[in-house]
Amino acid sequence: MKRKPQVCLEIEPDLVAAATGDAEPGAVGRVEHHIDSCGACRGEFHRYREIDGVVGALRRAPAAAESVARAREGLDSRLADLRSRLVSYRVFPSPLGHILIARSEHGVSLVEYLHRGTDLRTSRLHRIAGVELQEDGAEIETFYLELLEYLRGDRTRLEWPLDLRLARSDFHRAVLRATAAIPYGALTSYAGIAAEIGKPAATRAVAQALRWNPLPIVVPCHRIIGTSGALTGYSGDKIGLKQQLLAVEGIQAIGTRSDSRVARNTLYHYDRNDQHEYCLPTCGDIARRPIGPVTLLASRELAGALGLVPCTNCRPDLHPLAA
Amino acid sequence: MMGAQPFETIMGAHHAEIYRYLQRVTSRAMEAEDLSQETFLRAYRAYRTLGPDANVRAWLFAIATNLSRNHFRSEKRRRVAHQAVSVENREADLEGPEDEARFGEARALLETTVQGLPFKQRLAFIMRKIHDLDYEAIGRSLDCSPESARAHVFQALRKIRLGLNGRELPPAGGVERRASPASPTERRGAGAPPSETSRLSMERPR
Repeated sequence: MKRKPQVCLEIEPDLVAAATGDAEPGAVGRVEHHIDSCGACRGEFHRYREIDGVVGALRRAPAAAESVARAREGLDSRLADLRSRLVSYRVFPSPLGHILIARSEHGVSLVEYLHRGTDLRTSRLHRIAGVELQEDGAEIETFYLELLEYLRGDRTRLEWPLDLRLARSDFHRAVLRATAAIPYGALTSYAGIAAEIGKPAATRAVAQALRWNPLPIVVPCHRIIGTSGALTGYSGDKIGLKQQLLAVEGIQAIGTRSDSRVARNTLYHYDRNDQHEYCLPTCGDIARRPIGPVTLLASRELAGALGLVPCTNCRPDLHPLAA
Repeated sequence: MMGAQPFETIMGAHHAEIYRYLQRVTSRAMEAEDLSQETFLRAYRAYRTLGPDANVRAWLFAIATNLSRNHFRSEKRRRVAHQAVSVENREADLEGPEDEARFGEARALLETTVQGLPFKQRLAFIMRKIHDLDYEAIGRSLDCSPESARAHVFQALRKIRLGLNGRELPPAGGVERRASPASPTERRGAGAPPSETSRLSMERPR
């Protein structure tokens, strides 16, 4: 076989590109000039054009619509499954220690105090069956920044979309929803929540549900205490965190770590009544009545925001508690 | 940063094309189905990190290409796939009038030849010639420069030329006449195939 002249070898890539509609600027002129004088390459050019024609036919060949549709159907179902399982998370430093925030497509599903710094091995995330974890970039940071504002006292509401699927049962979810409704600066009791969800005998079960609260802070279980005012517990043995969170809202605790209680004499009291009147802690025997039926309030502003009016006997409007 | 469009829009716009791409690459409907689904599941996981100005189509092709490269890392699988297409193509496109048949035969022959190409050349060829991706995007998919991507396509065409040596093909103009009005060649710019009347002129049509 005769060897191709060097000039033909050199122009071959441009020739193929030009014949198949893919030449770089300037190449077309060179190819045109060459095949004017080289019969062999002119033949090649023509052959590549024929091939390009067949490639065009291949490109235009219709797709099997059925198999495309079937693949799409399968994709839709697999994507729906992935969406329900995908949980993205990030760990952040905070004044309360390292905190993990995780979210699904529905909303924030987990806020967790990590025991050992950023070590994820102790996280609840790893004990949840069927989830696919993904460390998130920027999206969760918005929640984190709001949380920091909240912990500084610069924000009183965390209006996050919530996903309560990590709660263990519908009962737990009902407890979490009732707890989420307790306003900033207010306190009620486990018994109060039990009554609120229509299960007045389930006080202990309410306490259990809140012990497993997957969304501390944003579902403010720190605002739920014992009927006598004892802080009882928080997220296992983190009673100190409960004190800190209450302090942010202007509620002070007294007593030792093992017997910590809120100072009722520093809080306004609301015992449900038709006149919607709230009282000073010194009004009658109100300070000895159980929390739950009685709601404790950190400020008169809060009472006003809840639509309450000052009691006409003790006159909290005239005799405000010391801030 | 979240991508600019909802993910459903992305799927609606690109799923069918990615599926067809993978069908050509794998030669098997089942594998194309699975890999195209994997492509979009992977894309969904990463979508929120995609910049708003990203070229979503090229990005999806890169994911699909990567998945199929992993899939075919086993030489054995590749050989099985090759055999599968050879059989399928022999059965296809042989009905109809004589020129239809000749046309179909040429296409089937081309397809078989493409399946026999080295993997990277095959991917580059399909991305460029069937899906009209630019060399920048092809290079990104194949972890190489745009120049290397162009070289892959050139080598692929040379091998196809050799593979079809001695075979009679429908004349280029004849094929062009069949093209639908929106022939992809019109989108390609400089060096689009000349029309039949100007046999050797390489100006753009019209």
